[in-house]
Amino acid sequence: MATKAYTLPTNVAPETVANIRSLVRIVSLALISAAAISSRLFAVVNFESIIHEFDPWFNYRATKLLAAKGFYEFWNWFDPTAWYPLGRVVGGTIYPGLMATSGVIYNVLHALNLPVDIRNICVLLAPGFSALTAWSTYMFTKELKDESAGLLAAAFIGIVPGYISRSVAGSYDNEAIAIFLLMFTFYCWIKALKTGSAFFGTLAALFYFYMVAAWGGYAFITNMIPLHALALILMGRFSSRLYVAYSSWYAIGTLASMQVPFVGFQPVRTSEHMAALGVFGLLQIIAFAELVRSHVSSKQFQTLLYASVVAMGLVGFFGIVGLTYKGWIAPWTGRFYSLWDTGYAKKYIPIIASVSEHQPTAWPSFFMDLHMLIFLFPAGVIMCFSKLRDEHIFVIIYSVVASYFAGVMVRLMLTLTPVVCVAAAVALSSLLDTYIDPTEPVPEEIEPTEAEATPQDPAKKSKKAAPAGNPTSLGEYFSRFTGNTNKPRGIFGINNRLIVLFNTFGMLVFFVIHCTWVTSNAYSSPSVVLASTGADGNPHIIDDFREAYYWLRQNTPEDAVVMSWWDYGYQIAGMANRTTLVDNNTWNNTHIATVGKAMSSSEEVAYPILKKHDVDYILIIFGGLLGYSGDDINKFLWMVRIAQGVWPDEIQEPNYFTKQGEYRVDDRAPDTMKNSLMYKMSYYRFNELFGGQQAMDRVRGQQMPKQGPTLDYLDEAFTSENWIVRIYQVRKEDILGRDLKIANAFEQGRKRKKTKPPVRRRALA
Amino acid sequence: MLLRRAAALLALVLTACARSSTGDSVLVVLDPSLDKDAYSTFWAGLTDKGYNLTFRTAKEAQPEIIQDEVAQFSHVVVFAPESKNLAQDLTPQALVSLLDKGTNLLLALSPSKQTTINTLASEFSLVLPPPGTPLISHFPARDAPATVVPVSPPAAHPVLSSGLPPVWFSGVPFAYTPNPLLIPILSAPAESFAADTSSDSGADAVFESADRAGEGLWAGSSLSLVAGFQATTGARVTFVGGVETFSDEFAQKELPQGKSSGNKQFAEDVAGWTFQETNALRIDKVEHHRVNETEPREMYTTNDNVVFTLHVSKFNPIKDTWEPYSGIKDMQLEFTMLDPHIRTSLPPIPGKAGEYSVAFRVPDRHGVFKFVVNHKRKGWTHLESTTVVPVVPPRHDEYPRFLSAAWPYYIGAMSTSAAFVLFVALWLSGDDREGRKKGLKTE
Repeated sequence: MATKAYTLPTNVAPETVANIRSLVRIVSLALISAAAISSRLFAVVNFESIIHEFDPWFNYRATKLLAAKGFYEFWNWFDPTAWYPLGRVVGGTIYPGLMATSGVIYNVLHALNLPVDIRNICVLLAPGFSALTAWSTYMFTKELKDESAGLLAAAFIGIVPGYISRSVAGSYDNEAIAIFLLMFTFYCWIKALKTGSAFFGTLAALFYFYMVAAWGGYAFITNMIPLHALALILMGRFSSRLYVAYSSWYAIGTLASMQVPFVGFQPVRTSEHMAALGVFGLLQIIAFAELVRSHVSSKQFQTLLYASVVAMGLVGFFGIVGLTYKGWIAPWTGRFYSLWDTGYAKKYIPIIASVSEHQPTAWPSFFMDLHMLIFLFPAGVIMCFSKLRDEHIFVIIYSVVASYFAGVMVRLMLTLTPVVCVAAAVALSSLLDTYIDPTEPVPEEIEPTEAEATPQDPAKKSKKAAPAGNPTSLGEYFSRFTGNTNKPRGIFGINNRLIVLFNTFGMLVFFVIHCTWVTSNAYSSPSVVLASTGADGNPHIIDDFREAYYWLRQNTPEDAVVMSWWDYGYQIAGMANRTTLVDNNTWNNTHIATVGKAMSSSEEVAYPILKKHDVDYILIIFGGLLGYSGDDINKFLWMVRIAQGVWPDEIQEPNYFTKQGEYRVDDRAPDTMKNSLMYKMSYYRFNELFGGQQAMDRVRGQQMPKQGPTLDYLDEAFTSENWIVRIYQVRKEDILGRDLKIANAFEQGRKRKKTKPPVRRRALA
Repeated sequence: MLLRRAAALLALVLTACARSSTGDSVLVVLDPSLDKDAYSTFWAGLTDKGYNLTFRTAKEAQPEIIQDEVAQFSHVVVFAPESKNLAQDLTPQALVSLLDKGTNLLLALSPSKQTTINTLASEFSLVLPPPGTPLISHFPARDAPATVVPVSPPAAHPVLSSGLPPVWFSGVPFAYTPNPLLIPILSAPAESFAADTSSDSGADAVFESADRAGEGLWAGSSLSLVAGFQATTGARVTFVGGVETFSDEFAQKELPQGKSSGNKQFAEDVAGWTFQETNALRIDKVEHHRVNETEPREMYTTNDNVVFTLHVSKFNPIKDTWEPYSGIKDMQLEFTMLDPHIRTSLPPIPGKAGEYSVAFRVPDRHGVFKFVVNHKRKGWTHLESTTVVPVVPPRHDEYPRFLSAAWPYYIGAMSTSAAFVLFVALWLSGDDREGRKKGLKTE
């Protein structure tokens, strides 16, 4: 009989224990949801209920239209004010899941006579869905281990900064609901696989459809589930459960996903989706082979059967390759290649590389976003090996794949976060299980010191155990530290338990503190409104963006066309309600390159481009006065690069550097740079601000030339309080048909060079 | 003052007189040295038409031309060839800004001095010879001095009335660089030239002037004497090489052949064109709708058949009204998004005065298109019209429901459904000997 480290009350009925357990679970989940929602409200408390950043402004605008005009109008929405003059078929180029969700919520609330403003629904959608994410993570982890691990996972995902960064109040983006859908689809898939239930397979397909409708990242699911299925097949774990789960998911999910207009026939026409199709085919072949094998006993026939199965698989594979070669199946897209070769985008698709969230992740951000979970994560993955049921294989594959992707692109940290939370919860919950369990091992012939020296962390132990023995097989290797050896294992005494538990508790406390700090300081800025702290410590709000957008809205004709770099397209459309040339939906590279060319050319070259596109105003972001580093001069090289991609003869990147290869804006800047429209617009009249002293660009830290640039083809229309946003008006053509430069010189009363009559005859030689 | 009152009286009496389409008030800026009465025929011609003339000398500041950014006169005549500088409100910049406000200008160049107007001329693509080089011609033989030249107007010109007899001219010729807005009205005779001496001391003068100019020869019919200019705002300017063209003396002076000169009619034609009496067109209305409909749509769908109609009027100076005008035979319509996707002629509709209409099929391309009419002919008001209209793809319920090309898919779907029903029927009605496996294959 084992001894106990401490005694538990024995006079409690098992039903009472069960009831209390479920009550505590429910209360915990409710508290976790509350924590998840409230920690995302920093943005609203510190600033206001406002839509953040760039993409959310479009989603918000689309949702407003959906709420006002109904779903059919939204589906058929052609936006003539975007991508002028090409226009944008919005209904066919977006993932409508997010807007549809908000629209449904809006209509339900209004049907209940709760007149909630659509903006508040949009602002608070992400926090609301984070509670659902916590719940679905709980369900998912429960399938892996047990309820307590589930609760831990739910608590982690509820407040982990890696997820909060995309789901604070106001961050009204596709990711806000997509992570919930991702986790719930995976939960349904695992459940379907476990039970062999077509119902859960269908449920997985339906949530997969919702995911497809909500986020382009659905391709992650499209490839994760086939990969899992393939791994199971290769491990010899084919079963009718797998067949039922996968077939019902794939058939219904694919048909459903094709109903989204933006996806259309992609599931059968592009390489990204071919893995799912291939595995589906393979499963049919294997299922057929299994069927035949169960009815035929001949050994030779089985060999023949396997050979034919392999042959059919190969035929299918080469068939797909051949179709790709013939052009029936679209090859991998550039975005996909950039996942494997981080330098690919920079070379071939600068427009993707120009987005900061597509850059490779810096290592501190792993700690910043995940804190202690990143250390627990490998331990959790290792523990999955110890059980290695089908769902554990899923988590292992998921963690490997997501880790790689998170290292390639900052933005894919988001897909890594859930699995980190799950794995860390499994690890931590095992640790707690071990140390809270009062059972003590029966000390036999072994010395107790060894048991005491047992490392607290299974992950640590695995490292030690690996070189110690010489495991001949994987199973033996794992069984070594999972307690299957003959030696009794366990923890003696209550002190050891308390030490470990106290440390664990401390870690959790620090985790919470870290998450709260990161959330409030790093991830809750709307980026539309900037905050700074004055010399006396008082917060100071910099509201230049909205100031400028509202100026546009109030002072320009309604059909005015505003040109800006594409980053600001959605905001101009959303806040200023004006027509834009390019926006954050970067579907047309040439059009963006046109804007890039106009910005990087001289005035004379840019003017016809502006006129051709009916541009009335140009909006630029200039941070030189305030030291706002995300301004257009810093983005300028991307404009040059993107323009060079389309007009390599006219725009050349080296011309914008000094001879020494430096990027400068001061006296030593090359002429091409100084004559470019962007440079001129940024520094026009900048000198005057310094009252005769030398002007100083505080972003680049460079002294500006004494003589500022002049503009002939543009008029300064508006400059915001801190000079962050500057708006220029494009001049009309001269009424006398002169070049505007000459007209301008005339207007200023400068003497004109005396013209001579055109030569009408050849000089006699 | 008396004259002004008389003009007002005249205007009251002759209400049905010819007048301008843009207004009747005219400011005349004269040199102090210029004798107003020497041009009485011209003034009388204007007042007869119904204009209110206000006279002012070149140095006077009153009455102001622009007050509070508003032009006070519809037309301004500047006959000041002797004044080097004009009043403060008549700088070249002010004159150009007048054009921006729609005021028309009739300007006389100075043959002898570098005046403001001469400086201004270069902004209008005119190239003037050095001061003091008037037009000289020794042909045809006549008793007038060589600087007073009879010039035959072009036989058919949009600005001038046809069959105009030769016009006496004395003043400075000018060359011009190509400018689509410039309309040369009167060209110098082929045998004339500009020389720097008014005494005309033989043929050497020609070569001397050629040497001095450095480039070519200030001679021949490529020089212009009177030129009109229509700014993009529609305002018109006329530069006259010599102010005497409008004088009573030239109007009455007999031609060498003995006939009377065309100066009076010429001055009237030029002033009439400059003051927007003649060749003034306007677009009254632009309509567009789908074929068989009447109301315009906010957006059109690709491949729609669309009718575009343009209503054009021409000003009738006799009746002082705008009348529908169907006389343009070469009008074109473009349907443009960045580039013209469709360019078609926009013919007048017979029987419907002033209506130009065309029906066409919208291209199979969505985007923000523009109906563009851009009709620019020398001497006529430019007709420009841009109507923006988005072209959208069909709505979700506007595609054909049933495609014959999709028959294989229809058959596939139907046969699969039928097979499934058959299979289920067979399965359910079949012998249930092995009842243990139910539900497993029904998927």
